[in-house]
Amino acid sequence: MKTIDSALEKIFRLARGVQCEVLAETKNSALTRFADNVISQNVAVTSTDFSVRLSDNGRTAKVNLNQASPETLKHAITTGLETLRRQKKDPRLQPLPKPRPLPAAAPVYFSETAGITPAYRAQKVRELALACKKSRQTAYGTFETGSNELCLANNLGVFARHLESSAVYSATVRDKDGLGWAEYPAFDVNAIPFRELNARARAKAYASRAPRELKPGKYTVILEPQAAADLLAYLTIYGFGGQFYNEGQSFACGNLGKQLFSPLLSIEDNALCGASAGLPFDYEGQPRQKVALVERGIVKGVVHDRRTARAAKTASTGHALPQPGSMGPLPLNVAVKPGGGSLGDLIKGAGRAILVTQFHYTNLLKPHNVEMTGMTRNGTFLVENGKIAFPVKNMRFTQSAVEAFNRVEAVGGVAEPCVVWGRISCPAMRLGGFNFSSSTKF
Amino acid sequence: MFKLGQKAIEIARHYRVDFADIRIIEERRQGLGVKNAAISSLYDQTTLGYGVRVLYRGAWGFAACDRMTPAEVQKTALRAIAIAKASRLLMSTPVRLAQESSYSDFWQTPFLKDPFAVAAEKKLELLFAVDGVLRRNRKIKSAEANMRFIREHQWHLTTEGSRIEQVLLSTGAGYSATAVENGEVQVRSYPSTHGGQTLGGGYELIETLNLLENAERVREEAVALLSAPQCPQGEKDLIIGGNQLALQIHESVGHPSELDRVLGYEESYAGSSFATTEKLGVFRYGSPLVNLVADATLPGGLATAGYDDDAVKAQRWHIVKEGVLSGYMTNREFCGVIGETRSKGSCRADGYANIPITRICNLSLMPGTTPFERLLGETRDGVLMDNNKSWSIDQRRLNFQFGCEAAWLVKNGKKKNLVKNPTYQGITPKFWNSCDAIADHSAWRLWGVANCGKGQPGQTAMMCHGSSPARFRKVKIGISG
Repeated sequence: MKTIDSALEKIFRLARGVQCEVLAETKNSALTRFADNVISQNVAVTSTDFSVRLSDNGRTAKVNLNQASPETLKHAITTGLETLRRQKKDPRLQPLPKPRPLPAAAPVYFSETAGITPAYRAQKVRELALACKKSRQTAYGTFETGSNELCLANNLGVFARHLESSAVYSATVRDKDGLGWAEYPAFDVNAIPFRELNARARAKAYASRAPRELKPGKYTVILEPQAAADLLAYLTIYGFGGQFYNEGQSFACGNLGKQLFSPLLSIEDNALCGASAGLPFDYEGQPRQKVALVERGIVKGVVHDRRTARAAKTASTGHALPQPGSMGPLPLNVAVKPGGGSLGDLIKGAGRAILVTQFHYTNLLKPHNVEMTGMTRNGTFLVENGKIAFPVKNMRFTQSAVEAFNRVEAVGGVAEPCVVWGRISCPAMRLGGFNFSSSTKF
Repeated sequence: MFKLGQKAIEIARHYRVDFADIRIIEERRQGLGVKNAAISSLYDQTTLGYGVRVLYRGAWGFAACDRMTPAEVQKTALRAIAIAKASRLLMSTPVRLAQESSYSDFWQTPFLKDPFAVAAEKKLELLFAVDGVLRRNRKIKSAEANMRFIREHQWHLTTEGSRIEQVLLSTGAGYSATAVENGEVQVRSYPSTHGGQTLGGGYELIETLNLLENAERVREEAVALLSAPQCPQGEKDLIIGGNQLALQIHESVGHPSELDRVLGYEESYAGSSFATTEKLGVFRYGSPLVNLVADATLPGGLATAGYDDDAVKAQRWHIVKEGVLSGYMTNREFCGVIGETRSKGSCRADGYANIPITRICNLSLMPGTTPFERLLGETRDGVLMDNNKSWSIDQRRLNFQFGCEAAWLVKNGKKKNLVKNPTYQGITPKFWNSCDAIADHSAWRLWGVANCGKGQPGQTAMMCHGSSPARFRKVKIGISG
């Protein structure tokens, strides 16, 4: 902390005469990785990075560094100022922002989680590995813990600081030709239900043995939370970012206030509280706002930073990424409103459907309708007459996410925390008419 | 730097570790971007730090830090040992590394012009000029041009006595134009997608790319795609050019040949591989025309260096020889599993803060003997696809689907009209076995992949894939939702 404060003071002194913004990030993270029932990698890193943005009357430049000695800082800022002075002016470039009151952050720092030892991680991983060995299964996965402190300040008075801890436990289990998976990201390690996750991954691996091939075509799908979150990540990034909207690349363009999705679907971006909480300010130190993206299937809004807001003649919602940038503002704290019932209820309510645990290697084909492709992974099953009938070989989908979320038949009652780029709090869902374009050999 | 690094080696020796190394990395990056007439990126970045890797009684530990004092190096080395001790709580057979000589050497990427010595305003001037040409049509809603330069200075010391200093330099540039009309979005890029072309070398690369000269064509192709017909559906002969074939090589040969994932060490994240070890030397991966060579000595390659991050000297070897699976990307930990006594030297780390892992080396499809014009002329009913737009492949690297920016129908040996949203699907060995022609050396180009993700924590690596356009028979094309 002392190092950051002292570095900020020095940087602002060196950058006197121009506007200056500093983003300082201190990371302490450790990850234990396991495969074949043994620890295969075990790593830890400590780092502090500074990113300094200089701005002067329509000119901008940035220097990034991780050493804060007086000589290094002087060299870096001098280089940045030199680059700044040689530029042509861009009259559209906004000056740095002035301070605005910031909302309080949700409780996201837990010292016990930040201080977890390699021995603790090894012990947790060992529990799964030993259980797997006993039942002739094989465990793979990761257990990552750490903390991150972010400080953003400018010489116009903006000063914002955020500290959060994190723990992510991910278990993959192989049982002959079956695979199962479960994962849980949390701020507090005590929130992770290790035993339940281990049991889920092991049971799914057992149940997915000897999969049968299913013909590609349109099926009703039951997407477990991670699978649904994967599609939602693309939908929200390409649909609700202010820059994509301004450029006409988003499906939301011309459709604000219109019903594009199932009335069962409501989505918001909310960094301030709830399961997808996180940084309460954006990367210009502006307060994040809760933004309704979809309400009962109606497109309600997009997220903006100061630049895209000005172009759209509206106000920033506090979603700037580090500036300058090419993607524009994005919703990275997405929460889907839960419906009712359990995953079991979604299965019971289906006639013939495919149950998907997780997708693999998803990618975008067409941005405007968010047409995507990807494979199923780690447990895919055919559901018949409300019951899981048998495991099926993995399948490739080629499907527009906009159309898919227009055909939501049911939303589960429990949202689970997922991480796909940003945080997504997402329940399981059942969707009709989902297009699988081919299958694979396992 | 070697003196600072020696502290970690002393600590490791004191604790009688099996093996330890320290990699001190000073990295300088510069990125410049112009989007829609405004600067979208202009940064100069310098980072310095080190990673200490320890093999203690057969178990790994790794710790990285950016505090550059002997006391902090000592602390970090002790932390790596403590982590390795924790790894011993869940281990089976102790890890043993393949033998390698120790080296004292200096190696540097050859270059003509230091990109960091070229003024930022000169670079921006070119990017603004490209941006201006790209936006000379109202249907272009987004134009983006960028350059990036990376210089990585490494000092690598091992307990075996290696002292290797390397300076790796890469240069990249490219642009894209996105045309939008009535809900249709189409993009064209140059020289390739995903940020453009990146190769090992200096600013001279930028001067050979003819960036400005191609901007008008790229703009007009992006606009033309808006009104072009859809790519037809069905099975057709497919000619793949541009960086698309490079990505095909990357995803369906490069990753499946990484021995760590073959052995299951990536199962939890990136997946495993269908190219399992019993197939080595016998499995028909592709047609007899198909020769794929890994090469860490390739001039201009992004994975070209004197040594890898296991301190193994650069090598060249076949992955697929005359269609048969003939080798893997290996490191010192796993090469013994396939009976090799020496690693091929394909182990690399992303910066100072990551542990070295098995990586795709430069991997190239050797040119055939058919001039490209003849290959095209002999195609009766096909499609020519260019420049990757989307990619996806299953976790064993079998079922893939690629989307390209643009395609042209080929009828009776002639390149005909432009079609949009081209995609194709396949199963890896079936696809490579359908290869019946590879254009000759005159069409062979090296393509950079500057964003290859792997590992947990996630690491990015760079490598190149050389190829000339190739033809694949009866491929499923035109898949849509």
